[in-house]
Amino acid sequence: MNPLYLEVSVVVLGIILFMVEAFSGAGSKRSIVYIGFIGLLGILAATFFADPALLDSSAAYARFYSADPLAIFLKQFTLLTTAVVLVMALEYAPTVEAGLPAERRGAGLGEFYTLPIFACAGLMWMASAVDFVMIFVSLELVTITLYILVSYLRRNENSLEAGTKYLVLGALSTGFLVYGITWIYGVTGQFHLATIAAKLPALDQATAPALLFGFGLVLVALGFKISAAPFQFWVPDVYQGAPTPVAAFLAVASKAAGFIVLIRVIQTFFVVPALQEKILPLLAVITGATMIFGNLAAIPQGNLKRLLAYSSIGHAGYLLLGIVSISAPFAGTAIVFYLVAYLVMTLLAFLVTTIVAQATGGDDIANFNGLNRRAPHLAFALMLSMLSLAGLPLTAGFLGKLFIFECAIEEQHWILVILGIITVAAGFYYYLKVIRAMYWQQPTDPDAPEIEVGGPAKLTIALLCALIIWIGVYPAPLLSLLP
Amino acid sequence: MPTLGDYLLVSGLLFSIGLAGVLLRRNLLIIFMSLELMLNAANLSLVAFARHSVTAFGLPDYNAQVLVFFIITVAAAEVAVGLAIIVALYRLRQTTHVEDLNGMKF
Repeated sequence: MNPLYLEVSVVVLGIILFMVEAFSGAGSKRSIVYIGFIGLLGILAATFFADPALLDSSAAYARFYSADPLAIFLKQFTLLTTAVVLVMALEYAPTVEAGLPAERRGAGLGEFYTLPIFACAGLMWMASAVDFVMIFVSLELVTITLYILVSYLRRNENSLEAGTKYLVLGALSTGFLVYGITWIYGVTGQFHLATIAAKLPALDQATAPALLFGFGLVLVALGFKISAAPFQFWVPDVYQGAPTPVAAFLAVASKAAGFIVLIRVIQTFFVVPALQEKILPLLAVITGATMIFGNLAAIPQGNLKRLLAYSSIGHAGYLLLGIVSISAPFAGTAIVFYLVAYLVMTLLAFLVTTIVAQATGGDDIANFNGLNRRAPHLAFALMLSMLSLAGLPLTAGFLGKLFIFECAIEEQHWILVILGIITVAAGFYYYLKVIRAMYWQQPTDPDAPEIEVGGPAKLTIALLCALIIWIGVYPAPLLSLLP
Repeated sequence: MPTLGDYLLVSGLLFSIGLAGVLLRRNLLIIFMSLELMLNAANLSLVAFARHSVTAFGLPDYNAQVLVFFIITVAAAEVAVGLAIIVALYRLRQTTHVEDLNGMKF
């Protein structure tokens, strides 16, 4: 099967869902989620039969689109994330309905379920983009969809505030991106990454500052997307204010795609040793700052979504550590493995947060007090994901960090490794704070009824829990699957 | 006739004015205008670069001009969504000043 059809079928799925939404009348929009979920899983199955050999290398699109194993992997990653986000959105429906000026029941819900699918198509194109024009257009498809989703709850001040901040800073990073692309184009006369890489070694030395300027601007723009320090200041506010499923989507899929684009751009520029020497120290500083900021700023947080936002900055730091050590032979696999582990544990954390916040009326850590009494299963799932995020042995998060640190040691980035280990230790403190609230604090309302969980969500939670332990204990099958 | 350097200078000025506007101004609408200015700075330099990198056939390099069209389209989409968000914010809070956006603190 031709991989080009994958994105096309995702877009078609989105349009079908809009049609269903338009003609299905008032009432609950559950059917949209079910169709979308099954459709996404069907496309996910189809990715395993996608054959890059079917791409016509002489066609015009071959300059824009590649379907290497990395791209296919990220497509699967994105489809899976979007499917879980849809399950989350289903649980989140009451909050969405309360956050919208509703003329009739269920108004606006259908779009909330459908828009992530378009963002998913954008992310899939981003995974395959090997040309700056394609990178720009697919990135914007994702970003503009996410502007709408972040500010979706028009009656909720926090959601609108988060949306406005995301809009201004997202547009700012777009400005940096296009201006950077312009300068790279001005020096090389090309947008295609492979052609740029081929041209770079022969370039005049006098143009190096202009080229570095362009690369720096692109790096700033991608830094915004992956929330690397010092471009991370939007993350806590946006994650806290955005609807929880959207925050999960931002944290997992959007960040992973940013990393894939970053890897492609950096590999283009690393062909010239002189450029590599200039870029690596810069990246190392960003990595160190991101790890320190993410983990230390998380310590005093009292809101779980905000805490997860800072934790996602910290994890971006560890992923960047993998990118800094990209010359190590195992680094590519280590980064991808870390992304998978990160997907599983972060989605689990956000899913449980969605459900509990719905039942207790808030997502402060205090709302999780005594959760063990009210919903032992949910408390266990959240505990597992927190332990994995912290990096306890026998969980997915531990092995992810281990592989990354191994690569960094191989490349002898000693300072970064030491910083990494210190920040991991700091991470234990704030992750355990959540566990302490759930298991050792008294519930605010001891007579509260048990929390009800929908069927699809229950199944997803069980699956994600199983995956965390399975990846952590026996990673061999996953490692053999990764590109 | 202006040289490539002149165009780049103007485009650099536009970009700096836009960036300064985003960082210094406090009104969301003006910030949004400044953001558009930054995108147009990129457009100007792209067109200038395209005009000055003549291909083997004696024509300008049209790749860059295609990107300009994409940027214009994306900017239009961004404005459509962005202004809608700002209008929604104004309806709820009766303000478009960034200082008033401080509801979330830890």
